[in-house]
Amino acid sequence: MSKFFVVLLIFFLILSTALVKNSTKRVDDEIFVLKENIRSLKKDFENIVLENNYLSSSEKLLEFQNLYFDKELVKKNIQEIKKINRNFDKIEISQFNFVNE
Amino acid sequence: MNNRNSKIIIEDDQNDFLYQKDKSKLDISFNRISFIFFIFFIIFVIYSIHLIHLGSRNSEIKLNDDKKLTSNTLYRADIIDRNGKYLSKTVSSIDIGISSQKVIDKKKLIINLKYIFPKKDYKKIESQLKNKKFFYLEKKISEENYEKIMKLGDKSIQPEEKLTRIYPEKNLFSHILGQIDDNNNGISGLEKSLDKNLKISQNPIRLTVDTDIQFLIRNELLKFNKIFDTKGSAAILMDVNNGEILSLVSLPDFNPNKREEISDINYINRATKGVYEFGSIFKTFTLAAAFDEEIIEPDTQFIDLPKSLTCSGFPIREYDNKIPSSLTAEQILIRSGNIGSVRIGQKIGEEKFKLFLSKLGILGQLNFDIEEVGRPIDFNWGKCPLATASFGHGITTTLLQVVKGYSIIVNGGFNIEPTLVKKDKNIKKEKILDESVSKKILPILRKIVTSIEGTANLANVKGYEIGGKTGTANKSFDGGYSNKKINTFISIFPTKNPKFILAVMLDEPEINKDYIYNYRDGSNFKLKGSPRNTAGWNSVEVSGHIIEKIGPILATKYSEIE
Repeated sequence: MSKFFVVLLIFFLILSTALVKNSTKRVDDEIFVLKENIRSLKKDFENIVLENNYLSSSEKLLEFQNLYFDKELVKKNIQEIKKINRNFDKIEISQFNFVNE
Repeated sequence: MNNRNSKIIIEDDQNDFLYQKDKSKLDISFNRISFIFFIFFIIFVIYSIHLIHLGSRNSEIKLNDDKKLTSNTLYRADIIDRNGKYLSKTVSSIDIGISSQKVIDKKKLIINLKYIFPKKDYKKIESQLKNKKFFYLEKKISEENYEKIMKLGDKSIQPEEKLTRIYPEKNLFSHILGQIDDNNNGISGLEKSLDKNLKISQNPIRLTVDTDIQFLIRNELLKFNKIFDTKGSAAILMDVNNGEILSLVSLPDFNPNKREEISDINYINRATKGVYEFGSIFKTFTLAAAFDEEIIEPDTQFIDLPKSLTCSGFPIREYDNKIPSSLTAEQILIRSGNIGSVRIGQKIGEEKFKLFLSKLGILGQLNFDIEEVGRPIDFNWGKCPLATASFGHGITTTLLQVVKGYSIIVNGGFNIEPTLVKKDKNIKKEKILDESVSKKILPILRKIVTSIEGTANLANVKGYEIGGKTGTANKSFDGGYSNKKINTFISIFPTKNPKFILAVMLDEPEINKDYIYNYRDGSNFKLKGSPRNTAGWNSVEVSGHIIEKIGPILATKYSEIE
C-alpha cells in the first residue's frame, strides 16, 4: 500500500512540475510581452515629456508671450501674491509672506 | 516406523527450500522498486532544478537587458533638473541606407522612393545605385516615412538605429553639463565627471538646478553684459542650508549640441574655474573671524584710524575719503573701510585668520561635482599680506568658494558642500563656527543694503529682506594692477532666516552713461548714468533685478508655507 502511495506521490510531483513549468513559461511570456510594451510606452512617454519640456520652456513661453499676450502677462510683485487657505467650506485669503517683516 | 519419520523430515526440508526461494524473489522485486524510485527521484531532482531555474529566469532576463543597454557603446543616462525637466538626453534615430548590390529592380525601387521622398535628387540616387556600394538615403527618418519605407519590403533597404546626445536647453547649462566626444566619452562638465555613472545608470541623474531660475538669471546677465559692456559674468544661486545649487551661470557660454572644440580662454567657467581677487567681500570673512575668536563685538570702537597706511612701501588707502576716522566694527563693514579691516585683521593674527579661511574652504581647491574647478594662487602669508588679505587684496579664490564661505557664516556655522547632483540622503552637517557669528554678521549685511552709508542700496528689493556685501577689485596682471575691474555682490536673503545666497560677478564692466537707475528707497528717484565703476553701481543693480525676477518663484516654490 505504501509503495502505491510513493509511486502516486512521484507521479503527482512529476505532473505538478510539468504543470508549474508550463504555467511559468506562459507567465514568463506574458511578463516579457508586458515588459516590452512598458518599454515602448516608456520611450513614448519620455519623448512626449521632452516635447512638453521644449514647448513649455521659459524661452518658448516668452516667445508665445510676445506673440499673443504682449500686455496681459506681467511680472508679479511678491507683495501681490496671496495665500489661499481652505478651512472646511470657508476660503480665507491672506497675505503671502516670504519674510517675517 | 523409522522410515516414516525420515520422510517427514524430507518434506520439512522442501518447505524450507521453497520458503527461501520465495524470499529471494521478494528481494529482487524490492530492488527493482528502489531502482525505479531512484530513477524517478533523479527525474524529480532534475525537474526541481529546472523549476528553480525557471523561477530565477526573471532576474536573468533583467540582467541581460542591462547588459544589452550598457553594451551599446553610445548609451548614456539622461540628466534632468530638480523638477524632472530634461537637460541632456540620449535619443535614438533611424538612418535608412541602401545596399546597392541587393537591389533587384532598380526602376521599381526608385518609383517607390519617389512616392515617399518626392523632393530627393533622384539623379544622384541613380548614380549611387550604379556604384554598387552602400549609401545613406535618409538620416534621422521620421516615424511615418520609416513605416512607409519598411512596408516596401525591399531587402536592399537597411535601417540603422543610432543614438544621439541632445541638450534641449542649448546654452543654458553648457558650463554645468559640459560636452561629450564622438566616442560617447565626457570631455567636460558633469558629462566628464559622471562619465562612468552615466554609462551604467539605468535611471536619469537628477541635478539640483532649476531650469526656469537658470533661464531668468542667464537672461538678466546677458542683458546687463550688454549694458555694462562686460567681458563676461557669472552668477551662483545656492541654498545656504544644504549647499544645493539652484543655478550656476557663466557667460559667455556655448551650445553643446554643436560639439565644437572650445579653446578660447574667455569661455572659462567664471563661477568655478576662474580664480580672482574679489576685494571687499573678504572684509566679511575678516569680521566673522574676529567674531568667531570673540576678539571684538559689532559695537567695538576703532578710534583715530588713519586715512592711509604703508606696508612694504605700498600704500593702503580708503577707497572713500569721507569715511570717518572713528568707526565701530559694524560700521567698518557697512562703509567697507580698508584701514579698519586691516586693524581687525591684525587683531586676529596671521595664523588664526589663515585657519579661519581654511575652515571656510577659501584657500585650497574645492572638491566639486565638475572638474573645472580653479585652484587659488598660493598666498605667501606675512605681516603685509595679512593686512592686504583682510580687505581682500592679494588673496585669490573662486566665486564658488566665496559662496561656500558666506553660506557657512550665515547659516549658523554649519559646514556645507556645494553640490550640483541631488542626493537622496540628508548628510549630517558639521558645525564649524559658533552660531553667534551668524547672529552678529546678518544684521550688518542687511544694513549694507538698507542704510544710506551702505554700498548696496540698489539691491533693496522689497519683500525679500536682502543683505549682502559688495566687492570691487582691480584685475592683476604682470605683478601689478590694471584699471579693469572684477565687481562682485554677494547677497543673502531673507536675512532673518537665511535660505538663499546669490553671487553676481561682472568681469571687466564699464560705466554706462545712459543707463537709468531706479532708487529702491521709496523716493522714486531716478539717476541717469553710472557715477562710478564699482560693484555698488553694477553688480548690485544686476542682483536686484535678478532677485526681483526669481524671488516669487523661490518664495512660493522653495519656501515652506506655514
